[in-house]
Amino acid sequence: MRHTLEELLAGWITHQRWFAGKGRAITELAVEAATTLPLRGPAESFHSDVAGSCGTTDRRRPPTDDRVTVRHLVITVRQDARTDRYQLLIGFRPELPQRLKHVAIGETPDGHAYDAVHDAEVTGLLLSGIASGADIGGLRFRHMPGIEIDTALRSLVLGAEQSNTSLVFGDAYICKLFRKIVPGVNPELEVVSALAERGSPNIAKPYGWIETDIGGENTTLAFTQEFLPTASDGWALALTSVRDLYGSLPGTTAAEAGGDFAAESTRLGMATAHLHKELAAAFPTSTVEAPEVKRMVEGFRRRLEAAISEVPGLAEHAGVAHEAFDRLADTGRPITVQRVHGDYHLGQVMRTPGEWVVLDFEGEPGQPLQERRALDSPLRDVAGMLRSFDYAARHLLADHPEAKELEPLAAEWAQRNRAAFIAGYSAGGGRIHGDDAVLLRALELSKAAYEVVYEARNRPSWLPIPLAAFSHDLG
Amino acid sequence: MSLTPQPVPNTFTHEKPRDPHWYKRAVFYEVLIRGFADSNGDGTGDIRGLISKLDYLQWLGVDCLWLLPLYESPLKDGGYDISDFMKILPDFGDLGDFIKLVDEAHKRGMRVIADLVMNHTSDQHPWFQASRHDPTGPFGDFYVWSDNNEEYSDARIIFIDTETSNWTYDPVRGQYYWHRFFHHQPDLNYENPAVQDAMVEVLNFWLDLGIDGFRLDAVPYLFEQEGTNCENLPQTHAYLKRIRKEVDALYPDRVLLAEANQWPADVVEYFGDPVTGGDECHMAFHFPLMPRIFMAVRRETRYPISEIMAQTPKIPDHCQWGIFLRNHDELTLEMVTDEERDYMYTEYAKDPRMRANVGIRRRLAPLLENDRNQIELFTALLMSLPGSPVLYYGDEIGMGDNIWLGDRDGVRTPMQWTPDRNAGFSDCDPGRLYLPVIMDPIYGYQALNVEAQQKNPGSLLHFTKKMIEIRKRHHVFGLGEFTELNSSNPSVLAFVRELGDDRVLCVNNLSRFPQPVELDLRRFEGVTPVECTGGVPFPPIGELPYLLTLPGHGFYWFTLPPTSAATEET
Repeated sequence: MRHTLEELLAGWITHQRWFAGKGRAITELAVEAATTLPLRGPAESFHSDVAGSCGTTDRRRPPTDDRVTVRHLVITVRQDARTDRYQLLIGFRPELPQRLKHVAIGETPDGHAYDAVHDAEVTGLLLSGIASGADIGGLRFRHMPGIEIDTALRSLVLGAEQSNTSLVFGDAYICKLFRKIVPGVNPELEVVSALAERGSPNIAKPYGWIETDIGGENTTLAFTQEFLPTASDGWALALTSVRDLYGSLPGTTAAEAGGDFAAESTRLGMATAHLHKELAAAFPTSTVEAPEVKRMVEGFRRRLEAAISEVPGLAEHAGVAHEAFDRLADTGRPITVQRVHGDYHLGQVMRTPGEWVVLDFEGEPGQPLQERRALDSPLRDVAGMLRSFDYAARHLLADHPEAKELEPLAAEWAQRNRAAFIAGYSAGGGRIHGDDAVLLRALELSKAAYEVVYEARNRPSWLPIPLAAFSHDLG
Repeated sequence: MSLTPQPVPNTFTHEKPRDPHWYKRAVFYEVLIRGFADSNGDGTGDIRGLISKLDYLQWLGVDCLWLLPLYESPLKDGGYDISDFMKILPDFGDLGDFIKLVDEAHKRGMRVIADLVMNHTSDQHPWFQASRHDPTGPFGDFYVWSDNNEEYSDARIIFIDTETSNWTYDPVRGQYYWHRFFHHQPDLNYENPAVQDAMVEVLNFWLDLGIDGFRLDAVPYLFEQEGTNCENLPQTHAYLKRIRKEVDALYPDRVLLAEANQWPADVVEYFGDPVTGGDECHMAFHFPLMPRIFMAVRRETRYPISEIMAQTPKIPDHCQWGIFLRNHDELTLEMVTDEERDYMYTEYAKDPRMRANVGIRRRLAPLLENDRNQIELFTALLMSLPGSPVLYYGDEIGMGDNIWLGDRDGVRTPMQWTPDRNAGFSDCDPGRLYLPVIMDPIYGYQALNVEAQQKNPGSLLHFTKKMIEIRKRHHVFGLGEFTELNSSNPSVLAFVRELGDDRVLCVNNLSRFPQPVELDLRRFEGVTPVECTGGVPFPPIGELPYLLTLPGHGFYWFTLPPTSAATEET
């Protein structure tokens, strides 16, 4: 029994990790734009010689099946009043080989439809399109000036991503397909290109992107960057250190533990300061005047009150936060704002053999682009990272039988690494003194209030982590 | 034995064909003659004692012995203060013993290299005595003399614990003489062609006796030049090229190993011109790698190792790194940052007695708190990272040290052979030993000795022997390219060694906790990895990340045999 493609997609899309409208019925699913991507012709090179990239093994792959077609779709999904756009890469084959059965969508008049991002035999067309700067239908493939791209590499889909699908080509490139499409230029493309132009070592080198017009607006569909094969994220590294401390002999301090992370925290602080300096130079900056600061503080207070009404246990700590907010309101000083990372935490930074590299300049996904590009104090990023150190130190304590005994160690680890990060940030030219410290503390407590609500809703056993931010003296 | 040079002296065996690049695959073993075996009961190890232990070293799988200085010396610096380059230290034996040692080693397929100090002599050397007494005589210009002590002020002082200047006043000659190390070790003046020729003669003397090469001690300091730090000067490289040329012409399968405690980017200069495949030293020690292995395991992350490997330049085709975990010197921390040095002291030298100069004086086992899993992991890293491994005598059984002995003697105590008197090292009165044997309850010779471990198949000694065996089965460990792999877990260091179709995959868990890792092995799709110690085939590599789990401080070595045909799915 055959269905229309739209019917099949409506059934399939609700099971995709990146689908934002889970749990609500789909009123309508429509194809807004469809582009058939050529597997032959100018883009042929990508599957003509794979062996060249495979070192010593001569593994010539058979030419791609003639009967495969790949279509790029922009679809709209309406769920009652809400309408979202998504980007799909759908392949069609007369029969599905075993290796693609797990990504089957269903049988259509055009053949078996499947999610073609998983088909390494055809994804090369994205790379070769970018390499050649092709225009295909309404899609524009573009690359950074003066770079070379090895189009013979095969791709692999990275698992477990919330809003995108990332393809890793060989161990050279990572191509992030933005699944849910928001019209406009993606902030990450904008920021990373600007930083690359300034020669920043703390970003993954950009290679190219895919764009189209949506509602008359130039819209980024995909972004390809250097893949960092031997990197690992700061969160995993920090947890390695915390785990080591928890496993050390009783009486071992965070400074004495073999897994001490402070040196890395310092380096990360320096990298963060350098990045902020580059962002301030590459994009406009502005000033938030004192009256506006007061309004901002009002926002913090409202957020805090809302949090207390949802998590009454927070009330007893609220004094600390109010005091911090009062001090910020009283400074009466304007705040310098600039482009920032916006969603800065240990999971967004990668340790490579040479440098800390910062990823995901997208701001908080799900927010409107306008907001994600808004100027802010760089201390918002600093506050985000300080909170992340707290999380790293304490999250292993959730449900831990010896949580009480380990709590002082957690506090000590957090304290040591927060201090090291701030020291590195200052050494790297970041400003944190006098009124800056007041702002930083207010930002951090406001963020902690947000976390309290989040944990209460999603992970109650983690609630003590943000609560601790209010009961401890933050360094 | 003829002392007349022949074009290709036929000193090396018997069955094995001559191989000019043997050192690239060899396992080296650093042996302290004084501390290895005493044949005459005087409390000091000697060459005949060493000869009596060659069967043991052959059994262990050693390819080349590295001897510390064995020349005549007043022994103010462990023999690095040579007073006659052409004589054996009487404590150790005589030239006849040495020739026999080389011959017996060669019979067993082993080579012998020895330390040679090029930079300086003892102040007791006749050259120096002649130089200070007769400034205008033939040796007057053999050393670096000056009327003041202000020249070359940009050169650092290396032994900061004992020396305050690189110049010392000699009342006899009424001038200052230059010394980069101890004040009783005056530097030779290489600007003088007669010195250059004299040292070439010294080299030829030993090469004629059949020695397979030299570790050239302190090579960066041969020449001095105002306005520089007097290290790695072009004149020094030019002289090394001359030595190499002379050695190659007459003795084509000998090896020169540079001791240059410098950053890899500087050390690489000592290999010479890459176009020629290398025309200075065949080998050089990779100093910065060793402290970083310790740091990586203590921090439970691979970055200290990844970083230094990424900074290590490619070396000429016919050259090789020498890598080691421990040796007779302190664990040197010159090639780390201040912050890293503080860290290493905190972690590995809690007692100030464990520190010496800029380093840590401990043996491998005590450094690792005698943790067998860690010692095995370190041994596996030593055997699999790029370079030829150099074992330090006694570390194969996990010997301990004695931090109460002065200077670096703590790691130079007698080899522990048996649970008998003096650990089977000597049958002298215990009080006569050059240094006391280790007697503490953990590392003491009664519990920890070669005899006991040879009988126990689960011992560290058998483990070490097994790893050497595996390494020697796979030449790729010595010859292959090194590529670090994408690993999802920062505590896991994974890399591939590769030489054509010969490929080995090494996965190391630097953490004491068990760890999973997902490796991107798409390059090897279709290959079935075979574990090296047991030969067990693991699941074939597919397109998806390859999942492995490792116990705390665990490691795997896999061969990746080529597939006859690529497995294609349709």
